[in-house]
Amino acid sequence: MRNRTVPQPSMSFEYIMWMFTRISGLALLFLGAVSLVIALAMGARQLLDMPTLARWTFFPNPNHVVNSKIPDVTQGWANAYWQIMQIVIAFFGISHGFNGLRVIIEDYIGNTIWQPMLRGLLFLVWLFFLIMAVFVILAS
Amino acid sequence: MEVKVKILRFNPEADKRPHYQTFCVDAEPTDRVLDLLEKIKGYQDGSLAFRRSCAHGICGSDAMRINGMNRLACKTLVKDLGRGTIVVEPLLGLPLIKDLIVDMDPFFEHYESVMPYLVNDEPPPLKERLQSPEERARFDDTTKCILCAACTTACPSFWSNGRYVGPAAIVNAHRFIFDSRDRAAAERLRILSNQFGVYRCHTIFNCTLACPREIQITKAIGEVKKAIATGSLE
Repeated sequence: MRNRTVPQPSMSFEYIMWMFTRISGLALLFLGAVSLVIALAMGARQLLDMPTLARWTFFPNPNHVVNSKIPDVTQGWANAYWQIMQIVIAFFGISHGFNGLRVIIEDYIGNTIWQPMLRGLLFLVWLFFLIMAVFVILAS
Repeated sequence: MEVKVKILRFNPEADKRPHYQTFCVDAEPTDRVLDLLEKIKGYQDGSLAFRRSCAHGICGSDAMRINGMNRLACKTLVKDLGRGTIVVEPLLGLPLIKDLIVDMDPFFEHYESVMPYLVNDEPPPLKERLQSPEERARFDDTTKCILCAACTTACPSFWSNGRYVGPAAIVNAHRFIFDSRDRAAAERLRILSNQFGVYRCHTIFNCTLACPREIQITKAIGEVKKAIATGSLE
């Protein structure tokens, strides 16, 4: 059987977002695993209880571990690396969720004026959430 | 045995909205739902409207909702529907014309939009465009489609947004996209990668359950998504 290939269609918005959904979902799992492994390497088994470790895993914010047995969170638990991790996790998480809402709008709102209006509103709320998330992460 | 058949009736000249009407029919367990409808139309109410043609599961004319599931009336036996009343309703998602007849135009417009025919501008060989058994097997499953619309009208994405091309159109695009003799796969993939193409499919699997030809429809849609992502038609 001959190998058959065709030039890929030029990237449509739907295709990009379809890929993004999959990539961001996997990225969130990967980033969670990274946070968990590093926390365990920093002694989380002795320093954190299970709920605190779970909160840290999916959002490695120092406020989540400040009331644990960690003597000083500024030593390894609160630095620029974790801030970048939080921003990346917040970006993937918020965008993944809001893209899901966009798909629901496109599925259930027909070809009416409501669809572009709701999509526009959703874009603004997504942007607001991202800006707020970055602000909270950098300020904490 | 006597069977109760509850049919959703609608006469556009007399009714404001559809209503149910129940008929009692003398039937054998091996009778098909189409036989019951024929008996009702022939002996009880000649105004009952439904489509039928070959009556052997090939023409795809008599797809309807039977006990809540899209099925072909000519392939559904009374004995397989349990002892209760048999409820027969028109397909969902397409405009209702009369009784069990829906307007199939939107369905066929979507079907035509994916170019469901062989496209090959290369000069034809002396005899025929040859294809190996393996190349033919690649798209064998999707050649079985009879365009009954049972899949498309079972799809919640299609119910909520009629601009979605629907599973049947994608199945028929798949049949030619993966045909080694065809040369328009790129164009079909472009059509299906738009806002109302394959990405409106959320792998609900209603289409696969509804298909009277047992085509693996969700799998076929997944293969088209993969072809769009990779450009590979293997």
